[in-house]
Amino acid sequence: MSNIILEVKDLKQHFKINRKFTVKAVNGVSFEIQAGKTFGLVGESGSGKSTIGRSIIRLYNPTGGEVLFNGENISGKLNSTQNTLLRTKMQMIFQDPMACLNPRKKVLDAVAEGLDIHKLYSTSSERNEKVYNILERVGLSKEHANRYPHQFSGGQRQRVGIARALIMDPDLIIADEAISALDVSIQAQVVNLMKKIQSETNTSFLFIAHDLSMVKYISDYIGVLHLGHIVEMGSTEEIFKNPIHPYTKSLLSAIPSPNPKMEQKRTSITYDYNSSGIDYSKGSKKLIDGTHFVLATDQELDEWAN
Amino acid sequence: MKVLEIRDLHISFKTDSGKVKAIRGVNLDLNKGETIAIVGESGSGKSVTTKAIMGILAGNGEIEQGSINYTWEKHESAEHGTIEGGTADIVQLSKEELQKNIRGRKIAMVFQDPMTSLNPTMNIGQQVMEPMLYNYNMDKKSAYEKALELLELVGITDAKKRMKSYPHQLSGGMRQRIVIAIALSCDPYVLICDEPTTALDVTIQAKILELIKDIQRKKNLSVIYITHDLGVVAKVADYVNVMYAGKIVETGKIDEIFYNPRHPYTWGLLSAMPDLDTDDSILYTIPGSPPNLAQEVVGDAFAPRNKFALNIDYRLEPPMFDVEGSSTHKVASWLMHPNAPKVDMPQELRNKINKMLKEVNL
Repeated sequence: MSNIILEVKDLKQHFKINRKFTVKAVNGVSFEIQAGKTFGLVGESGSGKSTIGRSIIRLYNPTGGEVLFNGENISGKLNSTQNTLLRTKMQMIFQDPMACLNPRKKVLDAVAEGLDIHKLYSTSSERNEKVYNILERVGLSKEHANRYPHQFSGGQRQRVGIARALIMDPDLIIADEAISALDVSIQAQVVNLMKKIQSETNTSFLFIAHDLSMVKYISDYIGVLHLGHIVEMGSTEEIFKNPIHPYTKSLLSAIPSPNPKMEQKRTSITYDYNSSGIDYSKGSKKLIDGTHFVLATDQELDEWAN
Repeated sequence: MKVLEIRDLHISFKTDSGKVKAIRGVNLDLNKGETIAIVGESGSGKSVTTKAIMGILAGNGEIEQGSINYTWEKHESAEHGTIEGGTADIVQLSKEELQKNIRGRKIAMVFQDPMTSLNPTMNIGQQVMEPMLYNYNMDKKSAYEKALELLELVGITDAKKRMKSYPHQLSGGMRQRIVIAIALSCDPYVLICDEPTTALDVTIQAKILELIKDIQRKKNLSVIYITHDLGVVAKVADYVNVMYAGKIVETGKIDEIFYNPRHPYTWGLLSAMPDLDTDDSILYTIPGSPPNLAQEVVGDAFAPRNKFALNIDYRLEPPMFDVEGSSTHKVASWLMHPNAPKVDMPQELRNKINKMLKEVNL
């Protein structure tokens, strides 16, 4: 059964710069995430993908729209039960693991911070036991618990970051560029770990990235974001087999492939919003087939389909 | 013509936990107009190597032995006068000589993050002109003209207006173009690009790489790329050097490395790269982690992570073996010794390469 864990309806996030000027970072975005599935958000920098993640977890207060998490509306004013639900059942993994770990805290305390805040243990040995279990789950050992962040390598630090999120036993993890700062071989390790955790605990992921080859690998559904609008959305296969929107096409054409003979001949398709004559605010969500949607007007859709 | 020749370079850093041998005998050649790439994990020493070439090692770093010979041709131009041809060992030069003759003028560098390598309090025009004013005492007017030209060369539209902009007003891709323009401002012969596109989006990444390639053709530049992204390497490089724990373990032409890799570490790197056809099985990862170079490495540094390791790998360091039928392809692995057991690359990688070859009809 596919039950929906997170539903985002027409989310808007505007930032007021001054009296005359407001940045519309996210402008009417809707999508949903099913339990145990991964939704990948891709787009260039400045497209609003990180903002969406931060609005959902309420690091920002959304300007408009609704966010339903386990059926509760968490976009407005939160009462204390909603707040507890949000802060425990939804967790985030950040891009740079060195910057998000306190250098003066042992890994044991960094991982247990969530438990401390929500008082989820009765004795300190229970607390430590929980941390040891989680560390083992993410491929670290009990001995690592008494070390400091600088004693770890980049990949290990990101594992600590994942452990911090996992210890709350969340329903949804938002991974904001969680692997972008890592080496290729370590990226693979972290992605494998996320997949393993997902199969064990049935956690949902919102995976935010600009590296399409990794997104393809980890996601079940993909939303392509540009200038605060989702321009195309669908299952991974639908997006990669049959991209409709010119922006999606240009993104796909830009993925480098490890094949020198091919790569030297290839030039990427360029896409410029200003000169393309497309107005995102005029388009509406058009169903292609199955779960595949494109943001377009009727006329544009005809044009692109041919 | 050989522009740069590194021979048996050893570099160590003094740290609290003892001496870290970051570079352990690197040999590297760069010819005029060619592009080489140095690939490896973080901590493999690829950035340290290029910092040594620029003479900008950290204070606790020391070049223990080896030479970095740099050769340049006689060059005449209206702007810079006549520059006599010559050769210099960068290791032997004093700081002042390096600063006066080499850095910026002959070898320039593009760094990873364009935001941190630009000065936020100076406008773009001043920053592009600064090296010309400093290095060649050009008068302001001709420096301004040249700066305009450079901005147009790196594909910045409306260059005149942009000269007055500040870095924060530009996007990441634009900023990286400015950094490239600054690097090119003194007409260097060698351009070092340290992860030039890691901080950028894929769409912009492709554009920047195409730009560097284009400029290289126009100016007959030699380029060194440092990266861990094999997709980038595939796009730009003529020669590839795979680096592991301070040594180059495999070197060769791009086709040789990608279609006929011989070192188990290169196999690992190529396998770990997801391509768009990867199905939903587990991604390949290289087990273990790189060695701690503060401790003496005995034998092959990669042996503990290598499932094909032989007994000798734990005792003796492998020399560079030539791959038969090629004068450029060299591998540092005991598996290449004539008496070693025949070991072929993993079947999955073989399939991957066969598929790549099929795509290009070879």
